[in-house]
Amino acid sequence: MSKEGKILLEVKKCSKSFPGVKAFNKIDFNLYEGEIHCVVGENGAGKTTFIKMLSGALQPDEGTIEITGKEYLHLNPALAHQLGIQTIYQEISFAPDLTVAENIFIGNWPINRFGFINYAKLFSEAKKLLDNLKIDLDVEALVSILNIPQKQSVQIARAMAIEAKIFILDEPTASYGKNEIDNLLGLVKQCAENGVGVIYISHHLEEVFDIHDRITVLRDGNKIATHGKNEVSDEKIISEMVGRDVSKFYTRERVKIDYSKEIEFMNFSNGDTVKDVSFKAYKGEILGFGGMVGSGRTELFRLIFGADNRVSGDIVMEGKKVNINNPKQAINKGLSLLTEDRQKTGLILEHSIEWNTILVHLIKSGGPFINERKESKNVRHYIKILDIKTTNIKQIIRNLSGGNQQKVILAKWLYANANIVIFDEPTRGIDIGSKEEIYKSMVQLAKQGKYILMISSDMPELIAMCDRVIIMRRGEITVELNQKQISEENILNHSIGGTI
Amino acid sequence: MKNIFKQNKTITRWMNSGNRSVFYLLVIILLAMLAMSFLDPNFFTARNLFNVLNQQATLGIATMGVAIAMIAGCIDLTIGNVLASTAAIAAILLNAGVSDIWVIILTCLSGLVAGVLNGIIVVKTRVDTFIVTLGLMSVYQGIALIIPNGNNIYLQGRFVIFGTYRIAGLVPIPVIYFIIITIIAYLVMRFTKFGRQLYSIGGNPETAYLAGINLDRNKIMAYAISGLFASFTSLIVISRIGQSQPAMGAAYPLEAIAAVVIGGVVLSGGRGTIPGVFLGVILLGLIRNSLNILRVPSFYQYVMLGVVIIIAVALSNIGSNKKL
Repeated sequence: MSKEGKILLEVKKCSKSFPGVKAFNKIDFNLYEGEIHCVVGENGAGKTTFIKMLSGALQPDEGTIEITGKEYLHLNPALAHQLGIQTIYQEISFAPDLTVAENIFIGNWPINRFGFINYAKLFSEAKKLLDNLKIDLDVEALVSILNIPQKQSVQIARAMAIEAKIFILDEPTASYGKNEIDNLLGLVKQCAENGVGVIYISHHLEEVFDIHDRITVLRDGNKIATHGKNEVSDEKIISEMVGRDVSKFYTRERVKIDYSKEIEFMNFSNGDTVKDVSFKAYKGEILGFGGMVGSGRTELFRLIFGADNRVSGDIVMEGKKVNINNPKQAINKGLSLLTEDRQKTGLILEHSIEWNTILVHLIKSGGPFINERKESKNVRHYIKILDIKTTNIKQIIRNLSGGNQQKVILAKWLYANANIVIFDEPTRGIDIGSKEEIYKSMVQLAKQGKYILMISSDMPELIAMCDRVIIMRRGEITVELNQKQISEENILNHSIGGTI
Repeated sequence: MKNIFKQNKTITRWMNSGNRSVFYLLVIILLAMLAMSFLDPNFFTARNLFNVLNQQATLGIATMGVAIAMIAGCIDLTIGNVLASTAAIAAILLNAGVSDIWVIILTCLSGLVAGVLNGIIVVKTRVDTFIVTLGLMSVYQGIALIIPNGNNIYLQGRFVIFGTYRIAGLVPIPVIYFIIITIIAYLVMRFTKFGRQLYSIGGNPETAYLAGINLDRNKIMAYAISGLFASFTSLIVISRIGQSQPAMGAAYPLEAIAAVVIGGVVLSGGRGTIPGVFLGVILLGLIRNSLNILRVPSFYQYVMLGVVIIIAVALSNIGSNKKL
């Protein structure tokens, strides 16, 4: 322990289960006054569950949370706020048309004897607070004109103003540049010097090493270790983050890849979250895209699919340059995109299985009318081969399980006869049975000589399924791993910026 | 026993596939008709029932356009003022001696153009359709005044048959128009890819876009249909009253939206059926007719109509699965 002092937070043997997963398993955790305690772990290690328990959004199944000496079985958002726990988001419900000073003291403005806001006092107090934190901002500026890092610092100032004791920062530097990261880290350190305890969660090891007093490593809902300042190397941290039971991985059938046929994706940029990304895909290959959540993978494939505006980017398909400016053109060129958020972007929830399955094919094929009999027959065919559990094809999608919903989306693209199939987190939140069904279809597609691209944050999935894995970080490709190089250590190391 | 079970399943399936509100509406309409036939022996005569249909035919035709747009998630508040504008155009053309058939074609064309413009403005501004068409409503109100210079234009006895003819002396011709347009709208929305695309856009625009649907073009077409139907309605109205008036059609947008919503189309789009909307229009007409027969003063009729609309919508919501 590098910093001794008053204990602010003591989590004792806290557990939380979700159907089928132990998301948080008998974890002990504590936080001192003025300490920056970093939490690291792979996607799905339990970090989000932890934050939600501390901010009162989730209740632990067992264990206690002790805050400044008082014990609680669980918190709720109001209580967490009252106890001085503040979760700092990049953008939160600011009143954008009020000034920085008004936002900092929101709801607690100094008033004069007539009951109006005493602006002179408000501005001078806000100025004092910002100066103390070394934040360089005009207190009279409107929040709406600030950029995201500036808004975040206003939020931190506000948390200081209400004398919050515990700050939780979850991936606070996503999409930040180097200077902005340095500014934020400086600000966090300043807060700690003022006695605030900070829980800092990040995928970026260099940030963690810069800022930490202690580091706790989580894996699969378990606490693996807590290290003091400068007690540990990044190599060691990575080895603790990985180490899952490999025997449980799915074993796929290998397919011969035709390296004479390739698609080249060149220089994709959106000027923000995707920076000059180029790569090649081969016929019959399953190409994985690893990286942490927010590394720009989803954005990259939305650019490729023509769904968002790009700054640059070209596709050369088996020697021919193709021009894709919207999803319609992408579909006509044989692309398909199974999006990450099934309900928001993949399905029309109030309509039937049949409706959703035929959607793309319907628009792709000519003629003004729908041939219901023919369509129904084809839908039944896909229901059968994908083993979609339903009593009839008119069933409303909303009432299906996540796994079956995902299979309907897959059916939709199979029916559209796509040649390049992009899966974005294809098995997130679905049951094991459906997972295997989707893996099987994926291999089947590869066998048919299609190009398979899969974004996944599920490491076992990348390892089990992919012939090659490309890792992205902060909108750029950090490495391309061939089949022999694909390992948990390699994937993780390049995802979080380790130095092995 | 087995047979009953099977039958029930068919009914359940029918109810689930968007017909729930149609079913409730049918029940409500039948109950209302039954109640009225006890209160007034004249209610259940063919003449009275055709009168109800005839009164609703103009609103009904315009409502079909509003319904098609709303299924695509687009609200169209302009129909009333588009109606008044195209009515003025029709009246001027008639007074200029243009033949009936050309008046019909040119008036419908002007409504179509207005609808296309509405659609283009909606998709280009990307502002909430309610707000954009609220603004456009005022634009067309101005146009409806500018074209006839603020005056009513009398048709001098021309163009009477188009909106007042009765087949066999009984069936009013607007009722025939209304039924034909309803059937066309039903076929388009139920059996064509265009209709399916409108439902998909209203149901989930993001999914529709990623499925390769051209959102802008389809929305423009939906507004075009709405404008077209409004202008067709204007022809019936001027034929009936023998003149065009700049202020006509003012109540249309709200009554049409009420009928559409009663018919089971949700405001955000994606759900609802044309038969449901048809029944929604009929129900509104029945209520008005009943209140007239019961001699409820017209001031009170407005209040009661509002209450009934809210009750009808609340009832149709009870049947849906949504919790919020």
